[in-house]
Amino acid sequence: MTNARTSMIDLATRWLILGLLIVYTIYNVGPIFWLLLSSFKSRMDLFSMPPKLFFTPDLSGYQSVFGVGAAKDSASAVGVFDSLVNSIIVSVSGTALAVFFGTLAGYVCSRFNFRGKGDFMFFVLSTRMLPPVAVLVFYHLMFARLGLADTRFGLVLVAIFANIGLATWIMKGFFDGVPKEVEQIAIVNGYTRMYAFTRLVLPMVKGGIAATAGFCFIFAWNEFAFASILTTTQAKTLPVKISAASGATGIEWTQICAAGVVLIIPVLIFFYLIRKHLLMGMTFGVLGRR
Amino acid sequence: MASSQTTTTEDRAAGHARRQAELRKRSSGRLMIFGFLSPSLAILLFMVAYPIFSLIYYSFYNFSALRQTTMKPVGLSNYTFLLSDPELWQRFVFTGKFVFICVTLQMLIGIFVGYQLQKNFRGRDIIFTLLMMPMMLSPVVVGFLWRYMLNSEWGIVNYLLSSVGLPKVDWLGQTNAALWAAAAADTWMWTPFIVLLATAAFRGIPETIYEAAEVDGASPAYRFFRITLPMSAPVLFIALILRLIDSFKQYDLFVALTGGGPGSSTETVSYAVAKTAFSYFYTGEASALAVILLLIITGLSMILVRHLTKMGEKY
Repeated sequence: MTNARTSMIDLATRWLILGLLIVYTIYNVGPIFWLLLSSFKSRMDLFSMPPKLFFTPDLSGYQSVFGVGAAKDSASAVGVFDSLVNSIIVSVSGTALAVFFGTLAGYVCSRFNFRGKGDFMFFVLSTRMLPPVAVLVFYHLMFARLGLADTRFGLVLVAIFANIGLATWIMKGFFDGVPKEVEQIAIVNGYTRMYAFTRLVLPMVKGGIAATAGFCFIFAWNEFAFASILTTTQAKTLPVKISAASGATGIEWTQICAAGVVLIIPVLIFFYLIRKHLLMGMTFGVLGRR
Repeated sequence: MASSQTTTTEDRAAGHARRQAELRKRSSGRLMIFGFLSPSLAILLFMVAYPIFSLIYYSFYNFSALRQTTMKPVGLSNYTFLLSDPELWQRFVFTGKFVFICVTLQMLIGIFVGYQLQKNFRGRDIIFTLLMMPMMLSPVVVGFLWRYMLNSEWGIVNYLLSSVGLPKVDWLGQTNAALWAAAAADTWMWTPFIVLLATAAFRGIPETIYEAAEVDGASPAYRFFRITLPMSAPVLFIALILRLIDSFKQYDLFVALTGGGPGSSTETVSYAVAKTAFSYFYTGEASALAVILLLIITGLSMILVRHLTKMGEKY
């Protein structure tokens, strides 16, 4: 009797859990599906009621993002492809430099004890937490004075500073995973510390460097606040460009959705490649060390 | 006697050599510390410390970026003006509500889903990557996507609501509905983050503890509340603080989703800083507000870093 009732409750709980999981999956995946679908819709299909699941695909959104085909000359498409190029240049060079500097700093923080190390590490990480608009109040003036406003170089500088903290902490985590004996043995055998670092330790954290680069790229690629305030025409990145994609006929939804899909593809690839280090990257190299 | 003397000399010589080597090692270490840290430090001093000190400086001036020649020192009046401004308090109340709803929903859903997904199953990597997708989008795209879906006339959300007989909602036209819309978008984007951290924390709990509880005949609820939750609390706490900080400074999402509207009712503190600085060009006042925002975020960051370093020592 009691057993039957417990198993009934068990069964009900299991169904309830399953139901909630299905609801969450729809909430989670549905909008992505809708974004993908809408990126292929023509203006007519976009506003049709009831919303259409089947329609003839319209590539004008993608044409304007990549600057090809008939749609590239429409008013709202002007400069969109240039902004994609800006996005690529800024995030790739910003990532490369942030990872380079972050690797150096991360190594020192992992291996040495020095005065003010704790303060340095806090300062470095706090840059990751910094509300962009707060520093932007001053950047706005500083960039204008230094002639950095609306330049890719200025945005690269921002990408470096915004990711250096993350890179330092994640790389410190990876270096912590390499035994200190590696350098000790090398030094005993007459090699310099620099040799041990470049020839022995660095190759051991290759995967970590790649993962760190993946993380920095994702953040630089999606960055909006800095780029939106510090650019006006020339150096706009894709996220900034699409936020202004409202032509005479209102917001260009197809173009925004297509840009959204184009923006997510490289991130999706990187995410899959660095999935083993996801946890490490998200907790600043503290958890999930392997 | 003679032999003992030689040993001392030899000892002394060896000691000397060792000290020399030690010194050389230490100075090469110093060189490395200096050489490896200075580029990062230089960039951060220029891009963070210098701007922050300038902000503090400007916050004591009546100053506009448009008329840079007239700077009038005004003492604390930027601060007293801001803190006595009921509109600013409204921004704080709105931001607080937004943070509270977002963080609560994300933690609850994230822990629940993470608990269900902790087991190994086929295709787990792919499913995980797919589940993480909202987090990969640029916040502006998320804002636009939800604005698109929440359109009161032709949006998919209202269509779905009306197709099951519920009334349509003017999501972005009313303050309260817009608050929930923004929370829904932020929760959509960041719950996967909690799922990721929670799953990892749950998987890190040794199976033997559960087995011991099994022997004692513990119920599933007991297992969850007395073993799983307490044992993963440190990781969940880090997730919580990270989400607190990020949602507190949220700006991008509101630019794209509500534009601060209706009226100015969905402006977060960050949004208010941007508006004061780049629409009204009250640079002095914006600096003061930025300083207040920085103080709050720095406080939260300090809690976070303390816990991260503690975890770093443990693992």
